[in-house]
Amino acid sequence: MRRVAVLLLALLATVRFTPAAQNAARAVETLPARADSLKFAVLGDNGTGEKPQYDLGQQMAAVRRSFPFDMVLMLGDNMYGRQDPQDFVTKFERPYAALLQAGVLFYATLGNHDNQNNRFYKAFNMGGERYFTFVKKNVRFIVLDSNQLDPKQRAWFEEALRQSDDRWRICFFHHPIYSDGGRHGSDVALRVVLEPLLIKYGVDVVFSGHDHMYERLKPQKGITYFVSGSGGELRRGDVHPSGLTAAYYDQDQSFMLVEVAGDEMFFEVVARSGAKVDSGVIRRQPVGTRESR
Amino acid sequence: MKPHALAHPVAVAGRHRSAAARLFDRVVQRYLALPIGVVIALLWANTAPEPYFIVAQSLAFPVNEIGMALFVGLIMQEIVEAVMPGGALHSWRRWTLPLLAAGGGIAGSAAVYLAYVRGHYEPILETGWPIASAIDIAAAYYVLKSILPRSGALPFVLLLAIATDLFGMLIIAPQYPTAVVHGGGLGVMLVALGIAGAMRALRVRSFWPYLAVCGTLSWVALYREGLHPAFALVPIVPFLPHEPRRLDLLADPPDDDAVHHFEHEWNTLVQGILFLFGLVNGGVLFRGYDTGTWALLLAALVGRPLGILTAVGVAVAAGWHLPRGLGWRQLLVAAMACSSGFTFALFFATGILSTGPLLAQLTIGALGTAAGSLLTIGAARLFRVGRFAR
Repeated sequence: MRRVAVLLLALLATVRFTPAAQNAARAVETLPARADSLKFAVLGDNGTGEKPQYDLGQQMAAVRRSFPFDMVLMLGDNMYGRQDPQDFVTKFERPYAALLQAGVLFYATLGNHDNQNNRFYKAFNMGGERYFTFVKKNVRFIVLDSNQLDPKQRAWFEEALRQSDDRWRICFFHHPIYSDGGRHGSDVALRVVLEPLLIKYGVDVVFSGHDHMYERLKPQKGITYFVSGSGGELRRGDVHPSGLTAAYYDQDQSFMLVEVAGDEMFFEVVARSGAKVDSGVIRRQPVGTRESR
Repeated sequence: MKPHALAHPVAVAGRHRSAAARLFDRVVQRYLALPIGVVIALLWANTAPEPYFIVAQSLAFPVNEIGMALFVGLIMQEIVEAVMPGGALHSWRRWTLPLLAAGGGIAGSAAVYLAYVRGHYEPILETGWPIASAIDIAAAYYVLKSILPRSGALPFVLLLAIATDLFGMLIIAPQYPTAVVHGGGLGVMLVALGIAGAMRALRVRSFWPYLAVCGTLSWVALYREGLHPAFALVPIVPFLPHEPRRLDLLADPPDDDAVHHFEHEWNTLVQGILFLFGLVNGGVLFRGYDTGTWALLLAALVGRPLGILTAVGVAVAAGWHLPRGLGWRQLLVAAMACSSGFTFALFFATGILSTGPLLAQLTIGALGTAAGSLLTIGAARLFRVGRFAR
């Protein structure tokens, strides 16, 4: 009887104090989690339907207990392989079931593996558009389809930026214009089109995926760029750090936690194991006072 | 042919031309300006990408949308002259088999391309299938001419390539990505055609008034309607003065009459534009290859020759005859000669896609199809065709 009790206790302890759960509690220690702040998570290249995606989904749900984010930015390649109705279940609804049940909203952008018709999928909150914008608290989010930047989209993007009088401006799209990923790296052709607008209209932060790793770039002309493309896929050891690299992690799947509070944006990057692999704070710089690289 | 009407400096200078001038002539005659532009662009983009893309994108509109109108117009002019009475490709009976072969080539390349991108679950690339169907007319012509100089394969391949690219142009013209459609283009187009008709009635022999006045109006009309303005000269070309062309289609025409004199000037101008077109669009980062690159290469190098051979095989089984002097080995080489998409694939790519990674990966594929010319020579050697027969 005593042996059974010990066994049960051991099992309970295992469930309660797995490394992931311990790390999940530890993971959010650098985020202030203020009551009135905007809290969200970011992940990209996630829709594999394989175990690492499910693990990360569980980790996100665990972290949310101490850091109650109410939306997730998906940076494209939300779905790999087949994209039949059943795949929306196995590659999206099931891995993030806990978050969806808790009412967390997902906002997606299209990657190169996504079917363009996925923009009509309600849970991606794209409103049937390839590119769109929305506001949360004092943050303007602008979402682009970087697969091809046609003149119409470019004109729309400039108009959306011009009309925004929000305190923060955050853009996200699939293909990074700055990246030290070995397989893809920076898309310089896109950068030449987008960067002048990002600078001109005072965009603060840009999130992208495509390269299957995590990287934070040193601010480029006043803008902080993140690559978060290991939400399901992973290309281990793919980062080739350069003078642009501020931090990176390419050993496991990961996602980001972000909190915007006043003029500060706190971020933390959590690996599948629950380990915190990067964190920091970005202070919003008014346009005109930004330092060049 | 009409007697020489206007003397041309090139004809006068004759054998006193310098080596540089002869090299220039060779570049013009062999359509080498574009490959030279592409090589420079590739080197530039892969060593200093940001300055390259800044320059390339600032030149993209004037080169792709305005300059290339002269290229498309010249191709149209040469086609019109080749198929008019007395032209090398006149007689509609000659067109039947090449048309069937073109259909087979388009179907073969499109099927392989679509199967590949769907197999890799990248449906976003499906829009690029017309790029896979493009045939570089000049490359097909010159590689085949070097292997089978006096064969029925030459007009067969020219007709096949022309039909294929005309089909591709019809597909891509309405897909031109534009920010705003202004409308009102129909009226402007009617004015352009009216002026062109009046010039023809007044027997205006110089090309330039047609190109400058009517071409500009036609360009505005297409642009306002959201159609690819590089096709602006297509409706104007039938009004131009014409002379029947010999089989050396796409070669710099002999300066033997007024019409050919203007065509010579036009061709020289187009070579400059093609150089800029290669420079502006050919620069891609080597690591930009992806699924679309392989799909395009496979479609052009395998799908198209297979499609052509299958279509001809079916036609022959149904009672058609192969062109005179063309056996199955020669036909295989002729089909391979159509595998290079290069210039036209690049043009179609820029016509369908805007800046971004899709364009980059398909551009690499389009450039890579130039390998089709080498494969054609390899096939000719292997099957002992034409000058490799001995």
